[in-house]
Amino acid sequence: MRFIIQRDRLIQSVQDVMKAVTSRTTIPILTGIKITATEEGVTFTGSDSDISIESFIPAEEGGDEIVEIKETGSIVLQARFFSEIVKKLPLGTVEMQVTNSFQTIIRSGKAEFNLNGLDADEYPHLPQIEEEKTLKLPADLLKTLIRQTVFAVSTSETRPILTGVNWKIENGQIICIATDSHRLAMRSAPIEGEEQSSYSVVIPGKSLNELSKILDDTTDLIDIVITENQVLFKAKHLLFFSRLLEGNYPDTSRLIPTESKTDVVVHTKDFLQAIDRASLLAREGRNNVVKLSTMDGGFLEISSNTPEIGKVIEEVQTETIDGEELKISFSAKYMMDALKTLEGTEIRVKFTGAMRPFVIHSLNDETITQLILPVRTY
Amino acid sequence: MIGKWNELEQIQPDVYRMLKNSRIKNRVAHAYLFEGGKGTGKREAALLFAKSLFCEQITEGIVPCDHCVNCKRIQSGNHPDVHVLEPDGLSIKKEQIQTLQEEFSKKAVESSKKLYAIFHADKMTNQAANSLLKFLEEPNRETTAILVTEQVQRILPTILSRCQVISFKPLSPIYFKETLLQNGVSPSNATVISHLTQNLEEALQMNSQEWFAQAQKIMVKLYETLRSNPLKALLYLQEEWFAHFKEKEQIDRGLDLLFLIYKDLLHVQLDKRNQLVFNHLEKVLEHDALLISSQRLAEKMSVILDAKKRLLSNTNTQLLMEQLVLNLQEGSSFV
Amino acid sequence: MQEMYPKKGRVILHVDMNSFYASVEMAYDSSLKGKPLAIAGNVEERRGIIVTCSYEARRFGVKTTMPLWEAKKLCPQLIVKSPDFDKYRTASVAMFDLLRQYTSLVEPVSIDEGYMDITECHEMGSPIEIAKSIQQRIFQTLDLPCSIGIAPNKFLAKTASDMKKPMGITILRKRDVPDKLWPLGVTEMHGIGEKTAEKLESIGVRTIGDLSQANEMQLRHALGINGLKLKNRANGEDNRGVDPDSIYEHKSVGNSTTLPYDSTNEKELLTVIHTLSEKVAFRLKRKNLAGQKIGITIRFKNRKTITRSKTLLNPITSHKNISEEAKALFKIHWNGDAVRLLGVTAFEVIEKQEAFKQLDIFSYQQDAKKEPLFSAIEKLQAKYGKKALQKGTDYTGGTSANMGAETSFSKDFLDRQR
Repeated sequence: MRFIIQRDRLIQSVQDVMKAVTSRTTIPILTGIKITATEEGVTFTGSDSDISIESFIPAEEGGDEIVEIKETGSIVLQARFFSEIVKKLPLGTVEMQVTNSFQTIIRSGKAEFNLNGLDADEYPHLPQIEEEKTLKLPADLLKTLIRQTVFAVSTSETRPILTGVNWKIENGQIICIATDSHRLAMRSAPIEGEEQSSYSVVIPGKSLNELSKILDDTTDLIDIVITENQVLFKAKHLLFFSRLLEGNYPDTSRLIPTESKTDVVVHTKDFLQAIDRASLLAREGRNNVVKLSTMDGGFLEISSNTPEIGKVIEEVQTETIDGEELKISFSAKYMMDALKTLEGTEIRVKFTGAMRPFVIHSLNDETITQLILPVRTY
Repeated sequence: MIGKWNELEQIQPDVYRMLKNSRIKNRVAHAYLFEGGKGTGKREAALLFAKSLFCEQITEGIVPCDHCVNCKRIQSGNHPDVHVLEPDGLSIKKEQIQTLQEEFSKKAVESSKKLYAIFHADKMTNQAANSLLKFLEEPNRETTAILVTEQVQRILPTILSRCQVISFKPLSPIYFKETLLQNGVSPSNATVISHLTQNLEEALQMNSQEWFAQAQKIMVKLYETLRSNPLKALLYLQEEWFAHFKEKEQIDRGLDLLFLIYKDLLHVQLDKRNQLVFNHLEKVLEHDALLISSQRLAEKMSVILDAKKRLLSNTNTQLLMEQLVLNLQEGSSFV
Repeated sequence: MQEMYPKKGRVILHVDMNSFYASVEMAYDSSLKGKPLAIAGNVEERRGIIVTCSYEARRFGVKTTMPLWEAKKLCPQLIVKSPDFDKYRTASVAMFDLLRQYTSLVEPVSIDEGYMDITECHEMGSPIEIAKSIQQRIFQTLDLPCSIGIAPNKFLAKTASDMKKPMGITILRKRDVPDKLWPLGVTEMHGIGEKTAEKLESIGVRTIGDLSQANEMQLRHALGINGLKLKNRANGEDNRGVDPDSIYEHKSVGNSTTLPYDSTNEKELLTVIHTLSEKVAFRLKRKNLAGQKIGITIRFKNRKTITRSKTLLNPITSHKNISEEAKALFKIHWNGDAVRLLGVTAFEVIEKQEAFKQLDIFSYQQDAKKEPLFSAIEKLQAKYGKKALQKGTDYTGGTSANMGAETSFSKDFLDRQR
């Protein structure tokens, strides 16, 4: 392998793939970055086996030569050293050359580094992509889908499948569902691409958070390819792979109540702020509990009481309250998490009883559903 | 030392057959427990079996090629779907098992197959073993576990019952001799020692003992005295032999050596000279082999074994040795 | 009487009942008076040790924690009784009620001792007159002896009450400390056990006087922050106030038991845990508390002791839940060695009213079933007040004695006086 590459592009690509590299790995080869040179350009790969990022630098772009390929081939270089070296090279171009037995020379101006490389064959093989099985979503919508659901995944390993977000693709629609069993977030959106196919996969929440950080807020279409073991997100010159979770996601559709006994429409911001204030006096940690009571005259009473700190009561004017009167307690944190994902100035909350799940929607928009389980008092 | 299937077949034929059958008949268990003494090839067999499951160019449905990317990566520890756990310090900790569990909550990286091996599985802490137990109770599709231990009695019975146990037998001396040679033991010592123990530590200790070197010489001398002048042998016992063989264990070791000499005599009679332990005695043995019937030789060997047995009970060792020497004399027999 | 009280500072009494269990037995059965009497746990089993004994028995050399057979050897005519906690509880309640007639600042420490802050009681007489009055009334109405210490703080009051037994009244002022305490060995000081004494010995501190002058760096090194606290005490200083509520600050509720013999039988040990869990659940229920963390204690044959705990998602109170968690912990952490003692503890306990259970989408139906009942209760409470009806509080007094004969027992029952 031998090529000459523009330094800035090299630095950018190495930085991108470094996001997937961790020193805490049991697989020695993953402490390295894989570099592959073909006639078309150079590909860099970093991976912690859960997520893998590939960055491609084309030999030519818009008529400009970015990489001069002299000899194709591949190598794996220690990520820690390689990423530091490329940042500190003196000139605008860098030559990389693998000599015999994986010795790699990195040259820029008068600086020359010799690194001991590793056999690229040892590196994990990422799934081959069949281009026809792609879905397409704009990057900003993809990021929104992630933001509105991933916060609700479980952080406990007792039910590993719940640490992921369930993506169901059916009838030209994508449905994302996350639950830690105390609350549930669900978002649906129409998709372009294959209308016929239907999948159900579970993507680790951690991977989606990473993906969200890497994507820019643009309307550029992202290709999504689902394979047997992995899901691939493909942006321009950047490939993001994530392993899928093993096992079946619980069927949540029957868990979301469709009817309601008490129906409240309230201004999102007023409600959120009242909950926020009430939670100030609710105890830190898990007992972050507030109580909601329906009152006469279309008021909601939000209260919290912590014996050693004090008491707070606040009334919130609603648009409407329909149905049975209700007293219910729930986690202020869960409520605020849910409210922050909702768009629109008003929300509708559908309660089904003091010890049953309740559902929150944006008024007139049911593509996003937030469900919360209340707490039981003793 | 065992790098290949055919070697496994030679040294652990039963293990080989069981693994081969399960692989060929596509009945690979969810969990195996490889148990057996040190140096019996458990670790090597575990890696071979892993390769056999992942190899891209497998032959005879089971034999891994050892040079495809999967075989190579299993050997180097780089295969992303093959996980090996070893004690972190003195024990295998709960956190290690948890990391493994997290790994297995995800789909495989490359294929649908996953394998994990836990070496020194007996070193798992209670918490680790209990975490593993939950894991074994809910096996994933196409996940294979190989637990490896030298101390099967220390494995929780609940774990044991969820594994297919594969027992590794002590190696035949030829293989152990190879190991000893690799550990710098001289060829002549390696031959003798490999017939006396299977434990590498004990073997190396024996090799470095002055006592053991001397013991070999004295036993040969005793044999030579016996054949030339049986009555002198009794005297020899008093003059030299008892001074060197004081403890019961030492006498036992001496009897082992004596037995090996007689066994060599048998090898000469059967013309299996390549199996001789005491090569330097070949000339002497050749001569003696002509003078004794094979039936009489067998009797003498059983006399030695009998003495070994009696040594275990509380017997007067001097009397025991004197009786033995008299019994080994040509033509006469006292019991 | 104002002049008998300090201008600034406080007057603290420490009331200590004299050989309480034995005295209560004698009060109930006057034929026992003047005879050597001991209260002991089960005679057959290992825990057959002396819990307490009368002064008459002490004269024969019988001591607390002595095995029964040894005590009998020293004093063949010794009368031995099993503990009757209901009796002691009743006596204790009466005793504290009597103390509260003087001031509300009464802090029970255990069943048979407590502190009082009488700084504001000058209307009732001088401190010593109050102490005499208390001692006399306890003796006359309950037929029980006690010793009382009078001092400017808790530490000195406690030390003082120890100085003269039975029926003593001792005043210990700060200025008495150099003469009365300093010559004594450190082990004489309340709060210093053998271990601490050993550590102090290693830095050359043998008497309380030595301790009062000890180098703070060295103390801190040997005993940590506790070392400095002890030095202050040795100088007669203690700024802890008398807190009538301290007894209610439950941090944990636990029960433990020494097995009649060392056991490696898992089934048997799990049965013990089941029984201990029942006791813990019972005590939680009686106090209307819920535990947020469950722990177990295992002491092995070789005296090595481990404690392991687990923080729970939701607070628990029921026998079933506690037992499940404790058994799971035991199964994980028991290494198979012979066990001498087992314990089950609910930690981070909170008032049930403050406890919440976060419902789970996969299991909320179980709780939702009880919804109509709870809404009915809430309506009644709204109408008649919270006290009228409380969820899950079926308080049954008096049955607690059946919850196993422990040789030491908790001070839970003091709650009833709230």
